[in-house]
Amino acid sequence: MSSPPLSKLHIRAEIDMVAVRRSLRVAASELGFGITDVTRIVTAASELSRNIFRYAGSGTMKWRALDEGGRTGIEITFEDKGPGIVDVEQAMQSGYSTGGSLGMGLPGAQRLMDDFDIRSSIGKGTTIVIKKWVRR
Amino acid sequence: MDEGLSVIRVRDVLIVTMPADPDDPTVAALQESVLVALEQFGARGVVLDVSAVETLDSFFARTVAETAQMIGLMGGQTVLAGMRPSVAITATQLGLTLGTAMTAMDVDRALDLLGHE
Repeated sequence: MSSPPLSKLHIRAEIDMVAVRRSLRVAASELGFGITDVTRIVTAASELSRNIFRYAGSGTMKWRALDEGGRTGIEITFEDKGPGIVDVEQAMQSGYSTGGSLGMGLPGAQRLMDDFDIRSSIGKGTTIVIKKWVRR
Repeated sequence: MDEGLSVIRVRDVLIVTMPADPDDPTVAALQESVLVALEQFGARGVVLDVSAVETLDSFFARTVAETAQMIGLMGGQTVLAGMRPSVAITATQLGLTLGTAMTAMDVDRALDLLGHE
């Protein structure tokens, strides 16, 4: 086991979202993110893990530290084998929701992060990878 | 699970303290606890103390906005007090709005707003 503890979490109950937020708060702080960026990262992760619980029922959150050309960052991957998103472009628009929410989870999470990548296929699931870099 | 959610009455105002990182059921419990206490104590206003809150996501914000609206329907006023700078910055970027709730820097000033100088 070379990976650090708590680098992967299962999301299958509401309480797991708390675990996601707590572990990322610790991880992002330790990587050197300031309090506002830590809050951005944790809030984005909260939105995406709730989406997994609501729309797919269960899934996983994985994170790893990034070190590219002297830059430090964090990469977080949310993966589920749920129904998938029919229209990703529409889901990325503010105010669009199929689940009776405010419809700001996906576009909001994108605004809070430096990088946001979403792949979804119907009947197979959704994978979202988000990144943020420590500001120097 | 009501971990950390406390509702106390000071004269005719309810002060609700939100925990740092509540799970969704705790956030959802906020609504009913507050509305029941409002009626029970005949309070005319509610101060939601969010100074300990570390993450305000869309579910939490929607619950707060809805609760403020319900308190308004019952004839009460809501003041959201003590939001941290990091939370305010993040909430604004996320696109959150808090509906009809007034805001204050801290609980003291919230009580001033509700007429307790």
